Amino acid sequence: MTCSDVERVLPEFLDGAPDGALPDEVEAHVKSCPACSDLVSDLKLIASQARQLAASEEPAPRVWVRIAAELSAEGLIRDPESAPARPVFVPVPTSSDRRWSAWWLAPVAVAVLAAGSYVISHKPVPQVAKQQAPATPVTAPAAAAAAVTPAPVPAPAPQLLAQKSAKPESARSGSAKSAGAVRSEVEPAPSAEDQQFLSAVSTLTPSMRTTYELQLQAVNADIRETQAYVDRNPGDMDARQHLMDAYQQKALLYQIALDRIQ
Amino acid sequence: MASLHGASLQLASRRPAKLGQTNLGQTNVRKATVVTLVLATCLASAAFAETKKEYSFAVGPNANISVDTQYGAISVRPGSASQVMVTATLKSDRVEVDLQQMGNRIQIASHLLPGADEQTGQVDYEVLIPPDATVSLHSSTGPLSAEHLQGDLTLEGPDAMVNVRNVENGHVHVQTMRGPITLTDVRNGHVEIASISGDVHLKSVSGPLVQVNSGSGKIFYDGDFGSGGDYKFTTHTGDIEAVAPADVSADFSAHSVLGRVHNDFPLQPKQHSRFSFDAGRSFFGTVGKAASEVVLRSFSGRIRLKQR
Repeated sequence: MTCSDVERVLPEFLDGAPDGALPDEVEAHVKSCPACSDLVSDLKLIASQARQLAASEEPAPRVWVRIAAELSAEGLIRDPESAPARPVFVPVPTSSDRRWSAWWLAPVAVAVLAAGSYVISHKPVPQVAKQQAPATPVTAPAAAAAAVTPAPVPAPAPQLLAQKSAKPESARSGSAKSAGAVRSEVEPAPSAEDQQFLSAVSTLTPSMRTTYELQLQAVNADIRETQAYVDRNPGDMDARQHLMDAYQQKALLYQIALDRIQ
Repeated sequence: MASLHGASLQLASRRPAKLGQTNLGQTNVRKATVVTLVLATCLASAAFAETKKEYSFAVGPNANISVDTQYGAISVRPGSASQVMVTATLKSDRVEVDLQQMGNRIQIASHLLPGADEQTGQVDYEVLIPPDATVSLHSSTGPLSAEHLQGDLTLEGPDAMVNVRNVENGHVHVQTMRGPITLTDVRNGHVEIASISGDVHLKSVSGPLVQVNSGSGKIFYDGDFGSGGDYKFTTHTGDIEAVAPADVSADFSAHSVLGRVHNDFPLQPKQHSRFSFDAGRSFFGTVGKAASEVVLRSFSGRIRLKQR
């Protein structure tokens, strides 16, 4: 059993095997292969998070239609004659590592968007009545910056260590003034999805890879910045909308990367 | 390549003047050098020959045309009402053009061969299409341009500079990662633009829906906001600047969570607004009959509404 074999089986797993269990031989490989193990655990996490989403967090039907159309056009999914209503993933050729590293991006992009929606809509809004005025004076962004508590910072992934010295905002226009305002200066370790994203874009040219990495860091900084503000001002609905927008930007980045890598 | 050949010819034509001043051995060496250079040039020309190919397709009304290239420019302009003319300029023989026609639908795509890179894999397309055709363009590097069309347009490219001008009545969807986007003279359009860090310039753009979402890119609008449309401009860290005539008819709402706002217009107050009033960070009110709704939102960017 090789990684490629696991790759062939995973789509069925993704598509909802009855008990969510993998065949024994696949399970054995996954136990011995850190990469496949990480992938499977990520997919399980995404699947479980997706199942927890209530119907109200479902993206509009046109979103699913568009994603399905794009995946169909790329030959990544097909509608089985005998099965069920939703499409299944078609295993991609095993000889192509690039395709292997790309097909997960679409569901992950959707998951990011859905997770963002979930986080925003389920964030507790304590004492809304007291939030008539902003909890933090918005005229003092510097003071707000001081109030930001950086998330615990695990050891950074080696892939990002080299980028530590470069400010993510350097790749973006118009963000310099805000960069120093409220953003945490410490870059948290990338999430599992981001690690996969970085792995996928690593197949691109060095300049493009750097561009995507910086864009991802910048989008993540936007999310952290906005999340921190929303945490301090849970009644600010416009800030919540900006948080949703920031997650959509991240989903857009994933989508663009998917197009590029294919 | 023409210039390379020209250079070789110029070099050869200077040879006789120098030959008389040198001995025979030196002459042979120089001859060999020149011949080698010419041969190398010819070989390089063969390997990276730029070739131009032309294709034409007969189509009916409302044709659907897509052009997809990894590297290169795509330009679309109106041509015959019943024909699609494609001129593809391939920068080398490491890239091919695949074409498919299925009824009224035409798909044109560049196909990279092994060893192709951003330079040798480049194909530039010039496409003449019926004005009412639906068009989808995709290039990673761009630029992408479309003009004088009336059908729906989709233009996408991470780094592509996008330029759309003189289009009307169609949907215009644009998506880039950091490529700048410029729309000029778009009338009665359903415009949706998304960019992560590219600047967006809209000049004389109006329609029932004009929506721009950008992460860190700036948004510039210069126009009259039409009559009866929804204009929604959103950035996270970028600035928004809108310039409108004094007789504009619009219901304005602007809010920057952490940035500043500035307004030149004497706004009539409204009883209700989507944003709570926050001096220096929001404004809202109407001008004229408030025919269109204009919403300007930024998280930390600056917002300016200027009177022309």
